[in-house]
Amino acid sequence: MLATAVNEIVSTKLNPNVVPHLHIWEWHIPLYLFLGGIAGGLLVITSIMIVLKRKFGIGPRDEGNGCPCLAVRIGSILSPTLLGIGMLFLFLDLAHPLYVWAFYTTVQPTSPMSAGSWILIAFFPLAILQAMLVNKRQLRDFNIEIVNKVIDWTENHMTMVALVNAHIGVGIGIYTGILLSFFSARPLWSSSILGMLFLVSGISAAAALMLLLAPKDEKPVYSMIDANAIWIEIMTVGLFVLGGLTGSANSHGAMMHLITGDVNLAGMSYMFWFWGIFVAAGLVVPLLLEFLEAAGVHIRFPNVAPVMVLLGGLVLRFLIVFAGQTYHTFV
Amino acid sequence: MSNKKNYGMVIDTRVCVGCSACVYACKQENHVPEGYCRDWVVQETGGEYPKLTMENRSERCQHCDNAPCVTYCPTRASHYAEDGTVQVNRSLCTGCKACMAACPYDARFVHPEGFVDKCSLCQHRIEQGMETACVSICPTGSLNLVDFNNMDQKAKQLLSGKVVYRQKEHAGTEPSLHWISASNKPGA
Repeated sequence: MLATAVNEIVSTKLNPNVVPHLHIWEWHIPLYLFLGGIAGGLLVITSIMIVLKRKFGIGPRDEGNGCPCLAVRIGSILSPTLLGIGMLFLFLDLAHPLYVWAFYTTVQPTSPMSAGSWILIAFFPLAILQAMLVNKRQLRDFNIEIVNKVIDWTENHMTMVALVNAHIGVGIGIYTGILLSFFSARPLWSSSILGMLFLVSGISAAAALMLLLAPKDEKPVYSMIDANAIWIEIMTVGLFVLGGLTGSANSHGAMMHLITGDVNLAGMSYMFWFWGIFVAAGLVVPLLLEFLEAAGVHIRFPNVAPVMVLLGGLVLRFLIVFAGQTYHTFV
Repeated sequence: MSNKKNYGMVIDTRVCVGCSACVYACKQENHVPEGYCRDWVVQETGGEYPKLTMENRSERCQHCDNAPCVTYCPTRASHYAEDGTVQVNRSLCTGCKACMAACPYDARFVHPEGFVDKCSLCQHRIEQGMETACVSICPTGSLNLVDFNNMDQKAKQLLSGKVVYRQKEHAGTEPSLHWISASNKPGA
């Protein structure tokens, strides 16, 4: 017996990667968003470290010649490097990569991708300059004339460069989320807090990466930054989920699709990836581990927490990009 | 009368039999690759058995007046044409797929040659004073090409006194495709 009212639609639409659901962005885009988030986060953290110097007790230690501590030096180099790698994935995702120049013959203010492609270009000059300035002692050893000149011209303005970079870093971090959240046709992405979520996630992943790379005496600073970022990220994820659940039928359905979804991603359901891997293993457990560390409890494998944070950040990008596509289009 | 054209369609679902002639006329006319389509036929069944209603309709790009694909295109490849339609300039399209994510009607696809493709409302035929391939083939007169800035008597008559809808109007896209609902009483 046909119990209640029906509403069924049979369509002859064939187009691959459009039916049965959108499947236009695969692994390239989440990986790019992850690397872009870390690059933005690294720029924010290293810039703030440079600006704050030793104020508030968390600035870099001066190793002579104005060069700050090792983690800031490595982080400043990694930031533009990781963004460059991320942009390579973005490039590989294009259906017609040879036309990539078309991004740079126009400015389309209403298109987040246009804004993003210009922000990505604007990022590099000052980020690379900062990487040069914090590593100037090492660079001078190479004695390359043009490099020496650039350092001579700019070395007294490092604080100003870092101050601007802190903002560019925030811009990149937010942009990785805004890129998705402007698409009102995709109910899961259509949330402005996604920009905030990807920003804090990027900062926390960047802090975790610096924590891994920092020498022992510098680690506590990054552990503290990471713990704070994770704490804010948990709040932001909570707001993102609540905003979806309490929204329209479109938003509610999309959020349920993510947090209780049984769609299979690499052998596990969305629900398990979201709660088990992202929230528990990527946020809550590392936060506890870093609290314990700060409280002086000896942890046998101190690198576990930052690795989990990085993994959680990567899983977040994959989940959002994939679940946003597998849920049905705005109705 | 306005000199500026604003082309769209009026699709009379009351007479659509779902034959798919529009789909294959389009494929032939526009060299749409096998396994892809610029237009498609939908059969929607609703109600409570045995009191069911069924509507057949031909669907395609809605040539929105406020098109999210144009808004989000980073390279101007997706653009508004002079005649009120939405077109894709293949020599500017990078295949970034932002337009596909933006379209609430999922009307677009990535052409195997590396650009995003969709219904052009047969712009090349309209320019020569012809109707679109789908309109010209439709055996029941369900499909009608209409310039909404200069509606002729036939189009006005077609719409008058009928239940007419547009799809996902609450998306704010101002679509240019109008459907005469199959729920209209006979003789409406």
